Amino acid sequence: MTAPIPFTVIGGFLGAGKTTLLNRLLAGAEGRRLAVLVNDFGALDIDGELVAKHGGDTIALSNGCLCCTIGDSLVATLLALLERSDEFDHIVVEASGVADPGRIADLATLEARLHRDGVIVVVDADDVQRRAADRRVGDTVLRQLKAADLLVLNKIDLADDPSVVRTWLDGQSMAPVLEARHADVTLALVFGLDQHGVSQSDGNPKPFRSWSYSWPDPVDRSALLAMLDEVPSHVLRAKGIVRFADSADRRSIVHMVGRRVDISEDGSWPGDVESRLVLVGTGAMLHSFERE
Amino acid sequence: MSTVVYSARRIITMNPNLPFATHVAVRDGRILGAGPIESLKGWGKVEVDDRFADKVILPGFVEGHSHAYEGGVWKFPYVGYFDRTSPDGALARGLKSIDEVVAALQAYETKMPRDGSTLLAWGFDPIYFGGRRMNLADLDKVSAARPVVVLHSNFHVLNANTPVFAKAGITRHTNVHGVVKDEHGEPTGELQENTAKFMAYKAAGVELAAILSDDAATWGFAKVAQLAGVTTATDLHNTLPDSTVAAYLAASASVDFPLRLLPAFAAFSMPPDEGIARLKELAKKNNERLRFQLVKIITDGSIQGLSARMRWPGYYDGTPNGVWNVGPDEIDRLLLAYHRAGLQVHIHTNGDEASEVAIEAVERALAAAPRWDHRHTLQHAQMADAGQFRRLKALGMCANLFANHLFYWGDVHYAKTLGPERAERMDACGTALKLGVPLAIHCDAPVTPIGPLFTAWCAVNRLTASGRTLGEAEKISVADALHAITLGAAYTLKLDEELGSIDVGKRADFAILDDDPLAVPPEKLNDVGVWGTVLGGRVFEAPRV
Repeated sequence: MTAPIPFTVIGGFLGAGKTTLLNRLLAGAEGRRLAVLVNDFGALDIDGELVAKHGGDTIALSNGCLCCTIGDSLVATLLALLERSDEFDHIVVEASGVADPGRIADLATLEARLHRDGVIVVVDADDVQRRAADRRVGDTVLRQLKAADLLVLNKIDLADDPSVVRTWLDGQSMAPVLEARHADVTLALVFGLDQHGVSQSDGNPKPFRSWSYSWPDPVDRSALLAMLDEVPSHVLRAKGIVRFADSADRRSIVHMVGRRVDISEDGSWPGDVESRLVLVGTGAMLHSFERE
Repeated sequence: MSTVVYSARRIITMNPNLPFATHVAVRDGRILGAGPIESLKGWGKVEVDDRFADKVILPGFVEGHSHAYEGGVWKFPYVGYFDRTSPDGALARGLKSIDEVVAALQAYETKMPRDGSTLLAWGFDPIYFGGRRMNLADLDKVSAARPVVVLHSNFHVLNANTPVFAKAGITRHTNVHGVVKDEHGEPTGELQENTAKFMAYKAAGVELAAILSDDAATWGFAKVAQLAGVTTATDLHNTLPDSTVAAYLAASASVDFPLRLLPAFAAFSMPPDEGIARLKELAKKNNERLRFQLVKIITDGSIQGLSARMRWPGYYDGTPNGVWNVGPDEIDRLLLAYHRAGLQVHIHTNGDEASEVAIEAVERALAAAPRWDHRHTLQHAQMADAGQFRRLKALGMCANLFANHLFYWGDVHYAKTLGPERAERMDACGTALKLGVPLAIHCDAPVTPIGPLFTAWCAVNRLTASGRTLGEAEKISVADALHAITLGAAYTLKLDEELGSIDVGKRADFAILDDDPLAVPPEKLNDVGVWGTVLGGRVFEAPRV
């Protein structure tokens, strides 16, 4: 069986900047064949020259990406898409403005062909507190924030006082926050594209850093989980292939997006190699982590 | 140009100038007139047909809120609690315990090919089994190898067996919303909402939607409607893919197709400019038995699914407020676009917050683009109170209330979701009529069976399944209920000038009944038999099985 396809959900209320982020993603995909499920092609900024084929509810781009409209049923669209899963490497779903993106990400947990990557929730820094206080949509907004693995605090330049909204947001969600203007985030961080040819050359001015760890001996599971639990807030992702002491004959894949850690086993441990873990994030690493 | 005059025990016309008659004359598929035979003879040579001499004729019933996949679900076994009639007229017996459901599925399973294909069943409703829920072990008794999926009557929840759970890798460690777990943290076999939908589609194959709206399904829907005396029915939410349109066009092209079908285009399925263009293009293909003209917007979920958007104080049992399928901003945007295009919009609102948002969206659309006689209609509007009905009236809106809910889920609404006070006034037909809001009542088939006489019975008697009367003050008269399932519903579809009453020039669409619904005791209204229908002058006798 082929490796499961990473499945990312972009959530956020109407107007937060989901489409802007998608447009950046499509422009910066660079060899990574993305299948992007959107509510409406209209808002996508697809250069006419990039369109290889327009088939009604699907647009194939010359960079290898696919865009599909979700139409009436995400479930039906997704299952149909999985029938042609050899055509892409990663699925990104744009949740509707009122959807709970966590529930969409749940689908990946139920589908062996998918691997749940992150729930990215885009937040309008200037508008989110007003929306959250609205008696009709406030609960919807707060559910989205709680469902996030990573928060993109967009339009930070429009916020009267960014520190106020940051503080408020910390009270609503455990997820790490990336500040952005026009959704100018580092795609590698948000979508975990780092191992696949997308680098800082995606036109993004913000650097990201990575830290590698390796262990020759089997690793204590709880120690590793404790380590991930304590990483500084600017560590946004982790990926590792680890030999745990409690299942030393197995290859365990460690995957972290935001503060959400998934561990799965995908086969037997391939003999004389070291366990490896890579953390990626912004800013400087704490000394205590550098020593480990 | 032959003219047929049907004699009847009684004809109930819904025409106040001639409320009752003994004869109705039909020419060219239309009503030439009603009255005593003497008054009809002036039209020239007539042929008198006495086959309905001991029957009672009403205008053909109009079902303003149903779904055509009612015709498709019968490809799968029905395992509901109540008796239900299939399109071929056969009675599917209600199953009164989980063991009966299991036994019925076992019998069905043995007749299936031994190819590991999925057994899909529908119509199950566990609320009548005294708290006992179906579990994995129950359905493992049906098959330990073949996937078994049992959809609940609301189509938002399902039960499955161990093979389904094993294949999906659902265990006690699966932390996914919608996987129901027992007190020990083990999955029970029940799945809800998006999780249920995903597993159902997977189990049935992605072609489920196509199966439910193909040619056979379309015919099945027309037939099951015909059995209930329905001559016009909506398919009130459809994305109208080419395959469905083709099936509808093919079926409706036949003069033997016993229904006028009105699909409502699912507004959220594409941007409004494209949707409007598509609907206008489709309308060019309209024929006598198929009419593309309606638009549907779904706003919230359902009350019993705990997904309705409610105003304060919310759910009686403290469940958090439900979810928007389409949020307030999008409702505004979609409604305004279709409103500007001159189309009529039907808006699904179960909770009263959803109704409020929809009403205000219409208010804003009317301020932005004044328009007369739009007849935008709230569908369900189950929690609407007097204030909301006053606003509907003031704005020229209609209400199509879900009267069948009173019977099927009234007890749950009383005890858990709404509490006594709001349950007593839910689906407030009495208030709607008192305030002059154009009223229809509906079944939402296949969620509940299509059967306007039963729906009328619900609005008249307001009895729950357990026998509780839910809101004496909201009861309506039999005459008003019959109006709501004929001319009232036709009005909400902008077809009232063409059908819905027995009047000169209207289409010769009749429901042929064995008894007089105005003469039987109101509590027996649902026992009145349906002989069949007449559609555009063609007689469609219901099969007797």
